[in-house]
Amino acid sequence: MKILLSSLGLSTAIALTSSAVSADVTVGAIFDLTGGLNIYGIQQDNALDLAIASVNAAGGVNGEQVEVVGYDAQSELSRYTQFAQTAVLRDGIVAMFAGLTSSSREAIRPIFRSANIPYFYSSLYEGGACDRQTFVTGSSASQQLNVLIEWAVENYGPRIYIMAPDYNFGTISGHWIHEYAEQHGAEVVGEDYLALSVTDYAPTIQQIQSANPDVVVALPVGAAQTGFLEQFAAAGLRENIGVVSTNYGSGNQQVVVSPQAGEGLISAMGYFPSVESEANAAFLEAWEAEYGSDTPVVAGAVDVWNAVHLWAAAANLAGTTDPDAVIAALEGGLSFEAPNGTVTLEPGSHHLRQNIYIASGNAEHGFDIVETFTDSAPTYENEVCNLIENPSLAEHFTPEG
Amino acid sequence: MQLDYLATVLLSSLSSASILLIATLGLAVVYGLMGVINLAHGEFLMVGAYSALTATQIGLPYPLAIPFAVAMTMLIGAIVELLIIQRLYGRIFDTMLATWGLGMVFNQGAVLLFGTVSPGIGMPQWNFSIGAYSLAVYPIAMIFVAIVMLTFIYVLMTKTVYGMKARASIQEPQMAQAIGIDSTRVNTMTFAIGCGLAGFAGAILLPIIPATPSMGLFFAVKGFLAVVVAGPVALTGTAATALGLGGGASITASYMSSVFGDVFFFLATALLLWLYPMGISSRWRRKL
Repeated sequence: MKILLSSLGLSTAIALTSSAVSADVTVGAIFDLTGGLNIYGIQQDNALDLAIASVNAAGGVNGEQVEVVGYDAQSELSRYTQFAQTAVLRDGIVAMFAGLTSSSREAIRPIFRSANIPYFYSSLYEGGACDRQTFVTGSSASQQLNVLIEWAVENYGPRIYIMAPDYNFGTISGHWIHEYAEQHGAEVVGEDYLALSVTDYAPTIQQIQSANPDVVVALPVGAAQTGFLEQFAAAGLRENIGVVSTNYGSGNQQVVVSPQAGEGLISAMGYFPSVESEANAAFLEAWEAEYGSDTPVVAGAVDVWNAVHLWAAAANLAGTTDPDAVIAALEGGLSFEAPNGTVTLEPGSHHLRQNIYIASGNAEHGFDIVETFTDSAPTYENEVCNLIENPSLAEHFTPEG
Repeated sequence: MQLDYLATVLLSSLSSASILLIATLGLAVVYGLMGVINLAHGEFLMVGAYSALTATQIGLPYPLAIPFAVAMTMLIGAIVELLIIQRLYGRIFDTMLATWGLGMVFNQGAVLLFGTVSPGIGMPQWNFSIGAYSLAVYPIAMIFVAIVMLTFIYVLMTKTVYGMKARASIQEPQMAQAIGIDSTRVNTMTFAIGCGLAGFAGAILLPIIPATPSMGLFFAVKGFLAVVVAGPVALTGTAATALGLGGGASITASYMSSVFGDVFFFLATALLLWLYPMGISSRWRRKL
């Protein structure tokens, strides 16, 4: 009886999550709606629903309405593979929008590769993902750090300290910081890679003082690492040492961090809500009508929005949702007027050429944009990954060193 | 190594150990006095943090928000004890499973109530210098808080009538009942106090660790290990392990890197459990 009950429970749960009833065109979505990663996942999912609604309102894809089969990965890796399989084998999806962490992307990428279904990954990340079915709409580490390090060296000075999480996002970002520091005549004077569960930053703060840098590149991931910024400010180090980041704000950390600690923190990302453009104003209006204005929109949400619109544009261009035709259309150099400026899909690397904004935290838990680097190319990905010449590539490129 | 660096390392390691101890004491009390492993301890800490945060948002000054948080978590703790824990005495794995599930409910409840991000209250921007190194005052003040907290629990459990009843109820439940102690009620109180201590930790650490629904996880592993390594003499034992493991990890991190700090913590834990399978305090002659 117990087994029967639990299996009944499971099938109702599945029935609840899959709202596709006999839709014309079905796309899949897997995001972390619960668990530790939902800071990002809920907004990604909201952005997906909003984007699909806007595509449908504009006439759908080739005249057909688009339906979403959505899954909650519960911040657990095993769910990603499970739901990816289900979406491919049962739901008959023609495109997939999923994932936040690099580990989740790497776990499900092979599934869509073998099923030959275009897969859109929408988050800032360490860079280097490369295969014919994968399309990345977030910015890569080298894309952001390229402009950020130059800016930091110019504005603060040549002595750099790295504080980053201890997994591939942090260590690969660390590699790029070393490389760009050298390019711009700067020097890395110290680095510390921290586990995501660390809450005590006193040792890091002492090492920073001991290394005496001009600027700290801080890449705090997750709620615990936000505490670093608070402890850094309370130790009185903000007066002499600048803090720059490529992900501060990506999970709305600026809301959590107090104004004393957050004012003047520099972040370089592909989107901030304070971007001034017609497309962004329209996007924010639609977003706030649906979800209110309590929580600022994060870059990852805009990356999902862009992914859906690029896919829809490609499917309309191809006149079909057949994967090969859609991928060919996506590789045709598509452009989209996105909330974060014009974005262009690079045919070879399947990454976006997009604006990178350098913004400074203000006293109202928000950001003021300091400088805009328009049409910034994913240089590293373009260099190593050419899927036009070599469509059978399936790699995760990491810089040597 | 310069003297000023050494002094700051020692002071901030002591502060790290104190923060771990503050976060763990509630767990130690409930485990030591009731034999219940409360896997929702971290979530009670989170409830305390959100209670204090909400109190400051409705205009209460922060020092008053702390007792408010303690009262809230004690109340919730008492309800949980009456509804769940009481029915599972002596069934340690069932209790773990139940409290683990409870933790998940609290976690998701916090997401639904407060959303995924809430504004922090920030740390007082006071700092002082030792030689060339500058330290924030607030984390250092936690050393003092930990000492006060430890003394308070020690006195409460050894010098008061309630404390004697609490220890009697768990060590000799039938004997305690025979001489007229309502052990059920005493246990409810003990569990509520353990939860209240977690709530206090969440509130007092709020400036250092901002309130997020999943913040309970940060202390879950290390706090749990500190209590397990401590063994039967829960209070003094946990104070010793928090100081040794937490402080040692912090010193290692200061001289090497954060990764080695964690390596130290887990290696030392494994080594201690290998040497003292029942905990370091298994042969101590103290009671608490």
